[in-house]
Amino acid sequence: MKRFSILFFSIAIILNLSCKKNDDSSSTDFEALKDRALIDFVNVVALPGYGELKTKAATLNSKVVALDANTTEANLLAAREAWKDLRITWERCEGFLFGPVEDDEYDPETDTWPVSFNDLDSLINSSNPLGVSDIEALSQRSLKGYHPMEYILWGKNGAQTAATINERQKQYLTSLSLHLKSQAEKLFDSWAPGAGNYAQHILNAGKGSTLYPKKQDAFISILEGLLAICEEVGEGKMLEPFDAHDPAIVESPFSGNSVTDFRNNIIGAFNAYEGKFNTDGVGISELVRARNISLDNELKQNFNAAINSFNNITVPYEKAIIEQRIQCRQTMDAINELSFTLESKLRPFIVQNIID
Amino acid sequence: MMRVKKMYWIAAILLAPALFMMCRKPGLFQDSGFDPRLSGGEATVFDETSKAFGHQVTGLNERDEQVHELGDGAIGATFVRAPSTLNPGLGPIFSNVSCISCHHNDGKGSPTAGLVNSSLLIRLSLPGSDNFGGPRAVEGFGTQLQDLAVFGVQPEAKIEISYTEQAFSFPDGEMVNLRKPSYNLLNPYKPLPGNFQTSPRMAPPFFGLGLLQNIPEATLLSFADENDLDGDGISGRPNYVYDPVQRKMMLGRFGLKANVATLLTQVAGAYGQDMGVTNYVFPQESSLAQTQLDALHDDPELPDSILNAAVFYIKTLAVPARRNVLDPVATQGEKIFTQIQCAVCHKPTIQTGIDLTLKTISNQRIHPYTDLLLHDMGEGLADGRPDFQANEREWKTPALWGIGLFEKTNGIPFYLHDGRARTLEEAILWHGGEAENAKQAFIQLPSSERKALIKFLKSL
Repeated sequence: MKRFSILFFSIAIILNLSCKKNDDSSSTDFEALKDRALIDFVNVVALPGYGELKTKAATLNSKVVALDANTTEANLLAAREAWKDLRITWERCEGFLFGPVEDDEYDPETDTWPVSFNDLDSLINSSNPLGVSDIEALSQRSLKGYHPMEYILWGKNGAQTAATINERQKQYLTSLSLHLKSQAEKLFDSWAPGAGNYAQHILNAGKGSTLYPKKQDAFISILEGLLAICEEVGEGKMLEPFDAHDPAIVESPFSGNSVTDFRNNIIGAFNAYEGKFNTDGVGISELVRARNISLDNELKQNFNAAINSFNNITVPYEKAIIEQRIQCRQTMDAINELSFTLESKLRPFIVQNIID
Repeated sequence: MMRVKKMYWIAAILLAPALFMMCRKPGLFQDSGFDPRLSGGEATVFDETSKAFGHQVTGLNERDEQVHELGDGAIGATFVRAPSTLNPGLGPIFSNVSCISCHHNDGKGSPTAGLVNSSLLIRLSLPGSDNFGGPRAVEGFGTQLQDLAVFGVQPEAKIEISYTEQAFSFPDGEMVNLRKPSYNLLNPYKPLPGNFQTSPRMAPPFFGLGLLQNIPEATLLSFADENDLDGDGISGRPNYVYDPVQRKMMLGRFGLKANVATLLTQVAGAYGQDMGVTNYVFPQESSLAQTQLDALHDDPELPDSILNAAVFYIKTLAVPARRNVLDPVATQGEKIFTQIQCAVCHKPTIQTGIDLTLKTISNQRIHPYTDLLLHDMGEGLADGRPDFQANEREWKTPALWGIGLFEKTNGIPFYLHDGRARTLEEAILWHGGEAENAKQAFIQLPSSERKALIKFLKSL
């Protein structure tokens, strides 16, 4: 018995020593991971994301210009596809809605919903000039950005064709696309070193940044971004028309693109968590994995469950809230579960493990 | 029997301190027993990010949480011209299209006008007062200028803002540039009378207002010293305003001149005047009797439940916690704040009243740094426009909680009623009137102590 105790004691010491050694090296690794995650958030997530937005906004503009010059069904289709492609990137960038996109209001300037149909129709039917500066000067954001473009490209009931699109609509569409392109360029520049350089606030978190005196502040901002988009989708964009049983208040109804938008919002949040956009980097995920592998697994499972649940909604959302209510409810539940894990487990993890 | 008597004695001895405590005059307990980070008491949230002003208080039941969420959606909703299936009722004339367009991130905004992200509006009136002692409307313009309009409709006028820079030098040679705004009303849709008065107002933050509404009236009146009986040069007096819901004169708490009594009236007024969205409190369009009035008979445009949810949302927004409370420089700044009399008006600690419906804002020890009273702020800040009992030089002491987070919630922070101050130093240097002595004391501080005071303010 005594020998057993000695043996047990010896094993305990060895285990303790080995744990200690591991702790030291993992602490060093963890420190390095924190820095890496912030660097990658800038260089792998935000800048590539906004860079892609800029490129795709320019593409949309070129497709709209082509449509204006030669109004064919093929060119209308190409412009619609470019719009949808740009939306993928924008909705994914909404996974990190903080910094200039919020401070300088790029989000409401380009993505205000609803469209003001009455004013839009009045504008088209008026003799008001429709140059890009005239569009920028409009006093309502509901007349600018993605959704008025969507309204013209698809028509109110999805009935727009190359034959029905008129000259004033094309002129307005062209200016809207230029405005969107200019906004995307400014948004990218606001982060880019050598221009607005918001990137430096993240890179200097805990090292002199006035916005992020601690590294923890930057990570909490990323977390708040994840929570905000989950709330916007799960408790706003999806829930409001669902509760009201009202297809008329679904966002992006003209293109029938709502479910894709919602899914891309959550993919954008997952990207921000994993520190990737189109290429992989180090994100909060690696930090969590280093200290609490089961939490990282749980979060990934939550993200995947939420993203995959959209596959069950097989019709446009304005129909789904009538025809597929169970599937809609299950998706919202999956998003809310993700939010709950982020709030109740990831936040404490960040607060406890990233104290500098 | 003896044993029982002995127990009585022991019980009496044990109870005696409690009895003495019950005899203690009502008042605040010592600071040392409380966590100084809890600016809103239980209604405090620990978040230092740009979302810091947008959290609900804890302790709401499931139903109240739903109402709060509904209100959150309402606050973010963009209104459009009626008829529309979603958010109808904008305008025809307005100052902005949604609550959050002005109250960015549930906070403040930019001191610009006429742009989609502008947060500044102009109140108008003629000399004299209306039947309730409030501002006298300008015929054809009302008491607030709407500088935007739906497509094809002419706004009442456009607002041109210009600034005159003036340098200020501290005794130690440090320089600060102050900018004084001036306002021109351009292209009015009809001629304005020659004697109209204006008052620029920038949107204040939303959070903590449920707590401020819940401060007992007697507490606020106890801060008043209208005739400066204590001779400290600071008076402070309440504004009494007419409330259209309760149809009586009430103590003003909200608005930059304490010109509104309740959150309901404040929010309903903002829907009506800022966005042109009629509601059950203000069922008439701001363009009533004007050429811009639409012919739609759709008033009130805002569902009652949405207005009530928006009010509830604002009532239940938590206050962000203080940071750096143990930082020695910030602590030094806090002492200076008291020493140079800032704390006479910017009351650090107040106890809220009982609210049986909302435990988290009920009976809370809060640190709003306001007395909600009117103070003469001198000629430099005077707007020249009385508002109920507030004269042209008086402003309500603004709450300072959360002021250190404006940079995060709003990008560039702008301070004072019209956003003229770009830094807290500038804001202090604009103080005058009753705050002249405090400002002079600030000016005379060594640079390190001025910086300590600013660091304290940024910890709020």
